[in-house]
Amino acid sequence: MSAVPGLKEDCEELLGAFQQADTVRFERFAELWRERRFHTVFYGRIRALERNKLTKKTLELAQQYFLPPYSFQIRVGALYLLYGLYNAQLCKPKQKIRIALKDWPEIQKFQQDLLDSQHYDAAYIFRRLQLARAFHFTAMPKLLTYRTKKKIEENYFKEEFKDPSNRVNSLITNDVLEELMNIHDHYQKMKCVISADKSQPDKALSLIKDDFVVNLKDMTLEHQEWQQNRMKLFQNAKETDETENKKKEGALLESEGAERANALARIKYRSYSAVVEASKSRRHRQVQLESSEAGSSCGRSPIQSRKSSRRPQPARRRGEMQVAKETAAWHIGMPIITEENSDE
Amino acid sequence: SIDMLMSSEKEEDPDVIPEDSSLLTLRIRKKELERREETIIVDRACRQETLTYEMESHATGKRPDNPTDLIEEGELLLTLNIFYPVIFQKHKDHKPYQTVLVLGSQKLTELRDSISCVSDLQIGGEFSSQPDQAPEHISKDLYKSAFFYFEGIFYNDKRYPECRDLSRTIIEWSESHDRGYENLQSVKMEDYVFNDLSLKIGFPYLYCHQGNCEHVIIITDIRLIHHDDCLDRNLYPLLIKKHWLCTRKCFVCKMYTARWVTNRDSLAPQDPCFFCDVCFRMLHYDAEGNKLGEFLAYPYVDPGIFN
Repeated sequence: MSAVPGLKEDCEELLGAFQQADTVRFERFAELWRERRFHTVFYGRIRALERNKLTKKTLELAQQYFLPPYSFQIRVGALYLLYGLYNAQLCKPKQKIRIALKDWPEIQKFQQDLLDSQHYDAAYIFRRLQLARAFHFTAMPKLLTYRTKKKIEENYFKEEFKDPSNRVNSLITNDVLEELMNIHDHYQKMKCVISADKSQPDKALSLIKDDFVVNLKDMTLEHQEWQQNRMKLFQNAKETDETENKKKEGALLESEGAERANALARIKYRSYSAVVEASKSRRHRQVQLESSEAGSSCGRSPIQSRKSSRRPQPARRRGEMQVAKETAAWHIGMPIITEENSDE
Repeated sequence: SIDMLMSSEKEEDPDVIPEDSSLLTLRIRKKELERREETIIVDRACRQETLTYEMESHATGKRPDNPTDLIEEGELLLTLNIFYPVIFQKHKDHKPYQTVLVLGSQKLTELRDSISCVSDLQIGGEFSSQPDQAPEHISKDLYKSAFFYFEGIFYNDKRYPECRDLSRTIIEWSESHDRGYENLQSVKMEDYVFNDLSLKIGFPYLYCHQGNCEHVIIITDIRLIHHDDCLDRNLYPLLIKKHWLCTRKCFVCKMYTARWVTNRDSLAPQDPCFFCDVCFRMLHYDAEGNKLGEFLAYPYVDPGIFN
């Protein structure tokens, strides 16, 4: 049977928190449960057939923690978890918890232990489950299925790692811009040739905006910047969601990584712009160079703005390499136009 | 009082996933739901899903009218997967099967009667010259023998005098040379109930009928009967899952299920060709019932007839 995605992590997290709480009282467990609002784990628009299957798998997963060799505290936690899941499920009639024949003596021993150590709340919970007829007494613990997985599981891509799909950029590439520039120049020259005054085209012939190529490039850059900002905002929002458990160093560590990535990007950029300067000698590329410089200034400001928003942090952490790589990959995607201009 | 600790205070709609959930499960599920909303135009249970769900749950909680039919506590419930014999190529990878629930105290013959296989309904013989005289006897009535094979013992159906011991061939074969099988026995099916058998879960066993139609049987689960199960003895063996087979339709009207198949038919565009009863007669016979053209016609029973 394929597993419910994410469920194992959630259960282990809850049991881990329960273990850290270092108690076997049900009130504590109920607090942790309510904190996480675990009863919502069955929510979502699921139809009846799927819901039955899902609940069965959930209970099966939780039941595994109820048996040895897990520690006593984990087993009590698993008992509470089973109780909670059994009552929170939305199936009618309720799906049952499977207990295999071979496990039953151990569970009875477990119950005896509970009574002996006077954990009456756990024993009471177990008794409640029994009275509610929550168990199926089976020969084998797992229900066999004979379906091979037909669905190819889609890879769950982490959003941050994916390069933001930049359709505008892939359409208006530098080659296209160059071509446009050349054609534009040629067109202007042709207009000059056929008009009376040889140095500039006739007024009657000005049918297009002269600087439209530059405008186009500016707009593209703007769009790219906007996208970067949006990704940044999105990631910031996600960070505040996800990293509430992590310590502050986590966010700062990313700023450290970003610092280094910034430095790397700046160095790279400077080395490339040197090449750009050298090709000033070609006259017909003149406008291109200017626009690239204009673009480069546009491109630089986002780096600077991002840099100023981070706080410097001298401390080093173990995981920073990976984070630095991630943000570096992100940054490399940014000054696309300026870098590619250097390919001449 | 303890229950209240679990549920939330305010009214919640279980269909809506809360926005700020800390559970990974819900986040993933939400993404999946959003993806479905974008890609699926109408998100509704299709026929197959409704059928599957209905079959699974139609008998839960049923109680018999007659109290003597009530199943007692301590009764065992077995879940068997009975596989169809492979007819189509596309089934070679995932063999279709039906799932049957059987009580421990039921006889093997009851299971045998409940297995519906299309080969039982075949009518043998060529009937192009006398289409109205296609006999009513189906193969099930003509060839009544069958056996189960569990753990080295063949359980033969000997209820009717026509039933032969199909397993005798196999036993003789295994005894003729030392082929490495321990002694295989042959007993009568009607004398045994499931409680008497010793079985392995997940191990393939065999059901053979009609002489050569073989079905693999696998037991997937044994458990004690539960309060929420169907407690009416008459409804067992209970079918809870069945594979849906598409029926072949008549070549002419494309509406009715095929009842005749013709070979070497000069009037038909392909060989073999399927017809429903009406189209078959209209094409191949004139108003007086004379046969037109050359062909061989056989009555056809579609495997999807049990849908």
